[in-house]
Amino acid sequence: MFAIEVKDLVKVYSGGITALSGVDLMVEEGISHAILGPNGAGKTTLIRIVTTQIKPTRGIARVFGFDVKSQGGKVRELIGYVPQEMSLWTDLTGYENMLIYAKIYGIEPSKRWGVIEELLEFMDLKDAANRLVKTYSGGMIRRLEVAISLMPRPKLLVLDEPTIGLDPRARMLVWEKLLAYKRESGTTIFFATHYMDEADKYADKVSLINRGKIIAGGTPLELKETYGVEKIKLKVSGSVEKASSVLYELGYTASIGDNEEVVLTVKDPAIALPKIIESLHSVGVKVLEARVLEASLDDVFIKLTGRGISEEREGIREVLATRRMIKRGG
Amino acid sequence: MLRAVESVLAMVEMELRRLRHDPVEIATRAIQPVLWVTVFGVVMAHRISIGVQDYVSFIAPGVVFQSATFMALAYGIMMVFERESGILKKLLSSPIPRSSVVIGRSLAGAVRASTQYIIVLASAALVGARFTGNIPLLLVGYFIVVYTCTGFTALSILIASTVKARERFMGIVGAISMPLFFTSNALYPLDIMPEAIKLLAMVNPLTYAVNALRKLVLFSDVSILEDLAALTLFNAVSLLVAMRELDKIIE
Repeated sequence: MFAIEVKDLVKVYSGGITALSGVDLMVEEGISHAILGPNGAGKTTLIRIVTTQIKPTRGIARVFGFDVKSQGGKVRELIGYVPQEMSLWTDLTGYENMLIYAKIYGIEPSKRWGVIEELLEFMDLKDAANRLVKTYSGGMIRRLEVAISLMPRPKLLVLDEPTIGLDPRARMLVWEKLLAYKRESGTTIFFATHYMDEADKYADKVSLINRGKIIAGGTPLELKETYGVEKIKLKVSGSVEKASSVLYELGYTASIGDNEEVVLTVKDPAIALPKIIESLHSVGVKVLEARVLEASLDDVFIKLTGRGISEEREGIREVLATRRMIKRGG
Repeated sequence: MLRAVESVLAMVEMELRRLRHDPVEIATRAIQPVLWVTVFGVVMAHRISIGVQDYVSFIAPGVVFQSATFMALAYGIMMVFERESGILKKLLSSPIPRSSVVIGRSLAGAVRASTQYIIVLASAALVGARFTGNIPLLLVGYFIVVYTCTGFTALSILIASTVKARERFMGIVGAISMPLFFTSNALYPLDIMPEAIKLLAMVNPLTYAVNALRKLVLFSDVSILEDLAALTLFNAVSLLVAMRELDKIIE
């Protein structure tokens, strides 16, 4: 049994915009599965179809065997959901938000208090429970939303960009809680993200999405091994420009980093590296340090699509260009 | 069924808790109707030489509804905000049926709006209006206000689902709330209206609401079945259409 089964899913919005153009996706039960892609790739649309908010134009989507179109009620009984945007009433306290949602989710009155208490404790929100949500930090808001989505003990937890806009510490805390809950309960976690490190660290399986289509899938390691190219960072003495022109002749495009460093991407560092060092040596460039950098999911994505996932993440070239500009004072 | 009722009540409770944290809206919304009864009502009464007691008592039920329906009609803006936040998405993916979302929020908006009933009647009484002292009748009157406002809140949710943009929503609400008030029997009895307006008044749900409330609190008259039937028709239509159109709000 798959937690989510999606076949040839198409969604064309009424304005004529095609958000999904034939998505195929299987999410195994009990794992954490990320859907990774840039903004506008179709992640949120896919999530909104899976959570029965909107209907697909064509294709099939099932949650634990139940069709999202014809058995939406059954699907909604099984899922917990945290939308990308905030889903709390900020003019109520944290406790009141939980209470209202507990009633909406139909949690029995005799169990209500226990469930709320336990989850507030679990999410480290007990001290803030009686404060208005508008006084919460971003991380607290996210943890409260996760707590609320866990109240009905869902078999599948769907999160849309669960840590968007949070600082690294708050992100880590949210994920610690999510993974601890998954270990305890065996809940399947399906989440959308455009942070490649988040998918890499917290997902058992990753599906890459681009322009409404899944372009690759597997464990982060598999993806990196199949599509990944590795990077070598060399620290050289002598002319960096000379080094990069030699590398160019060898067929590599090297970028120049700080402190006389050059960075280049290669297929197989174990074989390429000795040859590179030799060639550099022969023109009088000494290699002081050679470091093999691990490939990231972003590299995989660039390999597949020719562009990066996060707009925030700039290529080394842009960083250098910016720095040079700053140095020049303009 | 029980769960549906429970979820509807949860949304009403949410609204009441919100009001408790921030009761400012009730006060700001009360300014206008209080002026209607205490200034307009009193001045007009002297002008047309009907006793203050008679005239203010007469318009008070109308002003209750003018103020309460305006609050109910404005409630949809909350749905526009919640559409932009994640609340509506979360409600629509929760196990409760969509009909509960519409009924729950309509009733919640109505309860919020019904606060005007107490404020307007009390301020009218202060300037000399006289209403029944019969508590059950006053409670039935309160029920009529909540009932009517449920339909108007549903109408507001329907407008929110269709227009989506805040500015346009407020524009539409502004455009229909005053005409609703003036084409009803809120300020003057049906028989002195010109024929065309009278016709409009006959299809205006506010007319029946005002009529029922007037009978109850002014004349202790409980023959309100016809008015209730008209209001029920209005509520059923607005709730059903709002339910059908709710999906549009998140598309």
